[in-house]
Formats: sequence, structure tokens, C-alpha cells
Amino acid sequence: MIGNIQKGALKVKVSFFITCLGDIFYANAGKAAVELLERLGCEVEFPDAQTCCGQPAYNSGYHKETLEAAKHMIEVFEQSEYVVGISGSCVYMLHEYVHLFKDGSNWQKRAIALKEKTYEFSQFIVEILGIEDVGASYQAVATYHTSCHMTRLLGVKEAPFKLLENVKGLKMVDLPYRHDCCGFGGTFSVKMANISEQMVDEKISHIEETEANLLLGADGSCLMNIGGRITRQGKPVEVKHIAEILNSRGDE
Amino acid sequence: MPMHIGEKDFKKRVTKGIQDDFMRGAVRSAQERLQNRRAAAAEELGDWEEWRTLGQQIRSHTVEHLDYYLHQLSEKVAELGGHVFFAETGEEANEYIKQVVQEKNAKKIAKSKSMVTEEISMNEALEGIGCEVIETDLGEYILQIDDHDPPSHIVAPALHKNKEQIRDVFKERLDYLKTEKPEELALFAREKLREEFLTADIGITGCNFAVAESGSFALVTNEGNARMVTALPKTQITVMGMERIVPGWEELDIVVSLLTRAAVGQKLTSYITALTGPKQIDEADGPEEFHLVIVDNGRSKILGTEFQEALHCIRCAACINVCPVYRHVGGHAYGSIYPGPIGAVLSPLLSDYDEYKELPYASSLCGACTEVCPVKIPLHEQLIMHRRKIVEDEKKSTLAERIAMRGFEQIVHSANLYRTATRMAPFLTTPFAKNNVITKGPGPIRNWTDTRDLPRPTKERFRDWFKNREKQGGAV
Amino acid sequence: MKGKIINRERFLTNVSSKIGGLTPEKSIEKPEWTVNPQHNVLKDFTQDQLVDVLKEQCQHIHTDFFQTTSDRLKDTLNDVLAQYATKSFIYSADERFQTYHLDDFFQSSVNEKRAIMEWDPEDRETSVSFAEKADAGITFSDMTLAESGTIVLFNGKGQGRSVSLLPRDYIAIVPKSTIVPRMTQATQYIHELVKTGKNIASCVNFITGPSNSADIEMNLVVGVHGPIQAAYIIVEDK
Repeated sequence: MIGNIQKGALKVKVSFFITCLGDIFYANAGKAAVELLERLGCEVEFPDAQTCCGQPAYNSGYHKETLEAAKHMIEVFEQSEYVVGISGSCVYMLHEYVHLFKDGSNWQKRAIALKEKTYEFSQFIVEILGIEDVGASYQAVATYHTSCHMTRLLGVKEAPFKLLENVKGLKMVDLPYRHDCCGFGGTFSVKMANISEQMVDEKISHIEETEANLLLGADGSCLMNIGGRITRQGKPVEVKHIAEILNSRGDE
Repeated sequence: MPMHIGEKDFKKRVTKGIQDDFMRGAVRSAQERLQNRRAAAAEELGDWEEWRTLGQQIRSHTVEHLDYYLHQLSEKVAELGGHVFFAETGEEANEYIKQVVQEKNAKKIAKSKSMVTEEISMNEALEGIGCEVIETDLGEYILQIDDHDPPSHIVAPALHKNKEQIRDVFKERLDYLKTEKPEELALFAREKLREEFLTADIGITGCNFAVAESGSFALVTNEGNARMVTALPKTQITVMGMERIVPGWEELDIVVSLLTRAAVGQKLTSYITALTGPKQIDEADGPEEFHLVIVDNGRSKILGTEFQEALHCIRCAACINVCPVYRHVGGHAYGSIYPGPIGAVLSPLLSDYDEYKELPYASSLCGACTEVCPVKIPLHEQLIMHRRKIVEDEKKSTLAERIAMRGFEQIVHSANLYRTATRMAPFLTTPFAKNNVITKGPGPIRNWTDTRDLPRPTKERFRDWFKNREKQGGAV
Repeated sequence: MKGKIINRERFLTNVSSKIGGLTPEKSIEKPEWTVNPQHNVLKDFTQDQLVDVLKEQCQHIHTDFFQTTSDRLKDTLNDVLAQYATKSFIYSADERFQTYHLDDFFQSSVNEKRAIMEWDPEDRETSVSFAEKADAGITFSDMTLAESGTIVLFNGKGQGRSVSLLPRDYIAIVPKSTIVPRMTQATQYIHELVKTGKNIASCVNFITGPSNSADIEMNLVVGVHGPIQAAYIIVEDK
């Protein structure tokens, strides 16, 4: 499939945004994403100075603290052509920087520039590379968790499904009540742990209804939440980031 | 605080909610029905987003010029012979209403549904001077005879009760003998209440929307009780929250259309009753005397702040109907007559953070509320603003959290510190790890690991892998 | 006589101070809204198409729909009354009942031993207590909204509020010409009256089917405080 970017032309330069959870817990998802982007013709670099997007502080009301994270990340990615992250929620946070700075300020201009070139991984492949079939194959019956920030705030609704539909051997089953939050919510999961528990249990019961043996998602935080509850309960459902499936060539 | 309901302690209220299986079952099925109806009604229009945009513009303009429109409204009402009382507090409103009631020597008051009268505890004030106040909305009526069980939802106040429970309440209190069929229960209430409408001395209503240009106000109902209350008693009192107003009839069209679709998925409810002044001389039915009470009660504190959009609310409860937190804890857990996302935004504003400091945190910020709001109030963003205020202005966050966040600030804007911290993660967590997961974490992680495993940090961070790979010649 | 306004100045001064200190007396112009989707609903529909929409909508609002000619109106009304086993009814004092020759029909109803009454604006007691016990209330529609299936009544004088409210059943006679697409046209009409300084009815009722409630487990129950059954009879204009 030929995308928007013609083969043989200059390679698309991508600065990879791993996110904290990706860096610490989900290195495999990051590796898979980088490998796939390269397969699709991108030149991937990793600005090593990147830290956290600041969302934990922002959502907890610590906006002065968030500002420091924002300024740092704006500087880190200032020279990038595209910034591609593997979590819809963290990518949205980079977009949200625009609202942290005074209207018309220089920092706000720089934040806008960052927003305009920053994409979630599946969104980037579909919207910028113009590719829907990445040539993956994977044998499983899977369902997909639509994370709230990615769908509602970032507005990426279709891209992951388009990509997953074209994975050979993968049977996708609709997740009932997929619009419901999994109960993560950052500090919500520890501050309101008992409410969060009810939410994740409800999510898992819907996942079980699908009889899928694999749960996919595009947000490490939601996957950590759902996955952590699934392993605690010993349920036979594997949890993976979509990058791992999209980079698979059936050799697992 | 009159707005407050139930147990004082937030955690206890939440636990009680989570353990109430009957309530949760009732809430889950109610939410599902209401969600589906709203979605179908929005989709059917085909251009719902345009309707929302228009709703937002109307509400925004009106609240920005609230002084003008309230002035116009009061002039028009007075021109028609109605009386207008501006009440800065609930107490002032209640004093005025009591005075009217006493002047009329009224004993029996029939009331249609009104959240603002709940907010100011008007019923209690009137009962205190020996009046009988009868709630005539079916949901409110059920709660009233069940020892004043508080409402758990702003549109369907008895949503937390199932039909068997309602049957039992009717049986115990009113010697009801029939089954739990909703039709039979409703018919029973119809017969009981009909007599009350005919003999009430005063009718009291809330107000969905006042119309400034003509001094009118609209009541949006399905049951017909508000029509009864405004057609039969000789005196009528209408109590409105000061922001419940639109400039003119053309705007009334939009907000009513948004309200009925967003609240219950109906194109219009059975009755939209738009009243303008007392009855005219050549009319037989309708009130001879009309009083409008406009209530501030904390609303003006919100004007001109970052929370002003909360005053755009048209009380449809769409946000409540999609909220997963509400679904699991129920309305009473919020401790306020305004539950759910809008309640979590409004309650601390109308009251204070001492009373409602937990509510802004009772949200996973999933944004479902913001997505459905028919007038585009950014509800989840308002919750974040509350958190910010609690941290920055009120200094009510815990010391541990402040220290943690200061540490966070240091780490995130220093690449070196960040790299060190993330490199430490696998080592720091090793003592807690079993197989590939952490099942019992230290400190704040404990709240997580009480219910969930935490993955063990991978030995090689992503950034290490990337660096090594580059050293070995980079991409294959 | 003008009513009293109490506490206004203090109250509004406070409000003004929060939103930029406007003088409340200063006239505010409404802005041009950037979108107006309400005008697109059922736009350019013919009167017959609107009747079809109304008919369809009646199924969703638990309302019986009938369509007839002005000559056959009394027969249709008679059928509805028979179907509803109506033994007594009250009707509004509206000259359209004469225009459509229903006064003769009412006379024959009396002969059939139905108790009937015309709403009497001069006699509140009798009118209300008759309406309260009547099987049916009958009115003409002043405006009819196709989209939502709504009868708009400009209540006042002969068009008593109770006629469409207190009886067990409500029957609306809908001259075809009264049908408009939606609420927009009705509110626009009222807005024009207000703008030109004309009086509007003390009570404008938008009635959509029988009364109902979903307060018990969100199950729709038809017939709570208001009518339990509703019928619309669409009639070709006289």
C-alpha cells in the first residue's frame, strides 16, 4: 500500500515519545513501535532528554509544577519534525500545553508548534503515513479497549481499528460498553481505590463477555490498570499494546 | 448546609453506596436506558453538534449579561401584576415565601419538582410554620412518604429505588394493596394526589427557564403535576435559581429542545407549560396572584470566575447518566442534592471546599460528561480547576502529596534526574516483586496493589535498549 | 396593577459587579448565533408531508391518530368517543366548534345521554369540577408541531387550562393548516407578538400525548396526573 508519503522520497523523521510507563514498564511496546515505524519507512530518533509529560501533576491540580515539565518537553522536541507517542493520553497532554501558557505568549507559540506535530502512534500511521495495512499477522481472538483520553480528548477513534482489521490471523471482537472508562484515572486509581476497583471489575466482566484471549489497547496506563487486575484475578486474558501486534509477523 | 445529604464522611458514604446492590442494580439499568435514549435522540437530529454549539452560545451570552436579563424579567413580571422577590440567600427566600403563605393563611401547599427549593430547604421552612407541603412529582412523592429519603438524581430523584422497594413504601405508609407494576403504582399516586391538587391553597413550582423578553417561565414535565399546580391553586409561587433564564422565546426553543433530548431522549416532554403572569381577568383557571422568587444562594460567587460555565447548566443530568463513578457509588455518596459530574463541580462552589473537598477527586477524568453535555460545559476540566484551587489557593492537599509533586517537578524538568529515577525503578521495586509483578507495594503504591498487580519495571528501560541499538549500528 | 419588585437593586448590583459592572438598564443586543440548526428541521416540507411526520410521531407518544375531512369530522369524533367509551366530556369555548358544525353534534351527544359541558370562563367552580370528573376534554389545536407531535394551546378565556388536563382522556382537533414543522415556528410566532407589544396568553401549553412518568425504574408509564389517553384528529380546513 502506498501512503501519503511516497516510497523512495526522503524518509519521514520521527522523534519517538516513549512516556514514563513505556520507558519503565512497557519497553517491549516501545521497541515494537520503533521497529514498525522503521519498517514503514520512518527514520526514528529518541531524544534522550525527554521526561514525563506532566499529566500526573496537571490532573492533580499542580499546574505550576506541570509548567516545568511542559517547558522541558517543548524544548526537547523543538527541533523535531514529527513527535510520535505510544500513549493517547500522554500525547493529549502535549497538546494540552497550549492552555497552560498565557494567550499570545512566546511559550504558547512554541506549545502550538509542538501540538501541531505531535501524534499518537496509530493516528500517525493512518493519518500521516496514510497506511492502514502494516503487513502484520498474529493469531488470536482479540478485543480492543478504547481509552478515554485518546478517543474523547485527542479524538482518535478509528485509527487503531483500521490497523487491527488488517492484521492477518487476528479476529477482532467488539467490546461491549467500550465507551466506559476502565477506572484508571491517574491518581484516581489510588485516591479513590475502591471506586476504581468497581470500574475495572466492570470493564473486565465486559472483556470476558467477548471471550477474547487477548486485550489490546493504545494506552499503557489503562493496560496497566486492566492488566494488573486481570493477573491478580488469574484470568486467562493476555494484555498487549497494539504496537506489539502491529509489529508482529506471525513468528511469535 | 441544606444542600448536604446523608452521612458526613465521604468515605463512609462511598462504601455504603458500593455495598448497596439494590441501588447499584437500579442505577445501572436506569443509566443504560437514559444513555441509549439520549444517544438516539441526538443522532436522529443529524446535526447534534450544531445544536450543542447554539446551546453553548445562548447560555454563555445570557450568563454574561445576567444582570440585564434579570432586570428585564422582573420588569415584565411586575408589569403583568406579578411580584418579584430577589433573594440573596436561601434564608431570605424562605422568609419571603413564608410571609406570602401566612398572608394567605394557607395550610396546604402543592409543589411540583424543584431542585432550588431542595437546595434552600424550603419544605422544612414551611413545615416549621405548620404548613403541609405535598410533593406531586411521582419520584419526589415516593421519597417524601419514605421519611424524606433524599433525591439521588436531579431529573429522576427516586432512581435509586427499584419498583419492589417503592411498592413496599406505598404498602407501609399508604396501605397500598396492589403489585409492584409501575402502572399500578402510578395510578395509585394519581388518585392520592388528585384531591390534593384540588384543595391546595398555594402552588409552588421551580423554573426550568424564565424568558426575559416577556416575563414568562417554562416548566418542562411529563406527569402533568406542574400544570395542576399552576392551574388550580389561587396563589402561585415560582422559585428560580438566578441563572435559569434565556433572552427570548426563540432561545427557549433551543434550550428546551436540548433539555428534553439530553435528559430523557424525548423530542419534547408531554408538557412544556409556559406561564406569563397571573391569570387574566377573563380567565377561569390559573392563579389570581403570582410571586416569582429569584435565588442567588452562592451563584454570584461563581460569576466572573473560571467556573462561570457551571452556571450554563440546564439540569438535564446527561452527565450523571453517563458517569461511571455515579454508576458505582450512587447519588447519595456525593453528599449533595446535586450529584454526578455537575454536582462535583457545583457543590463545592455553592457550598465550600470544607464540605465537598473530595468531590472533585471522585472522577477518573474520563470526559464522558463533557462529551454529552448539551451546552458544552467542560465538566472534567472544571474538576481539574477545582483540584488546582484546592492545591494552590486553599492549600488543602496533603503534605505528602505536596512533597511528592515538588519532587516530580524537579525530576521532570531535569533530564538527568529523570534518567536516574527511572534507572532506579527496577532496583527499588525488586524487594516487592514476585515473578514479574509486584503484589504488595510500599507507601501510596499500596492502594494500587491492594486490588491490582503492578508490573515489574523491566531491567532494560526502553531508552537503554534504544541507546545500545544505536551503538550497534541502529536500525536494521 | 403593577406588582412589587423587592430587593432588586442590591441583588443586581452584586451580579453586575461580578460580570463587568454593566448597568442593568443598558440595552443588550443579542448576538448573531453562528449556527441555527433549528431552521433546517423538516424544512420545505409540504403540509401533507408534515401530516405524515405527525402521524409517525404519534406512534412514539402513545397517541391515537385520526385523519378526516371537515364533513366527516363529527362522525370521526363520534367514533373516537365511542372507542374511548366516553360518557361525559367538556370542550373549550371556541368558535371553531361552530365553524366545523360540531355544535349540532354536541346536541345529538346530549340526546345519547352523554353529559357534556362547554368551558365557562365565568364559572370557575362548575367548569373545574365538571372537567375533573369528565371522561374526555376536547379542544382545537392552536398550533401543531409535526416533529414532536405537539398540540400548542394558547390558554385563556374560552381555551381553559383544565380542559386538556383534568379529564381522563384528551382529544385534540387539529386543523391541517395549524401544523408547522417544530417548536421553532411556535416560539417565533410568540416572539413576534412580544416584539410588537401584543399580549401573549397567560399560559401557553405544549402538549405532547398523554401524561406519563418514568420515575419508577425508568419505565414509561402512561397516564399519571394528566390524561391517560390522547387522540389527535387531523381535519382538512373548513
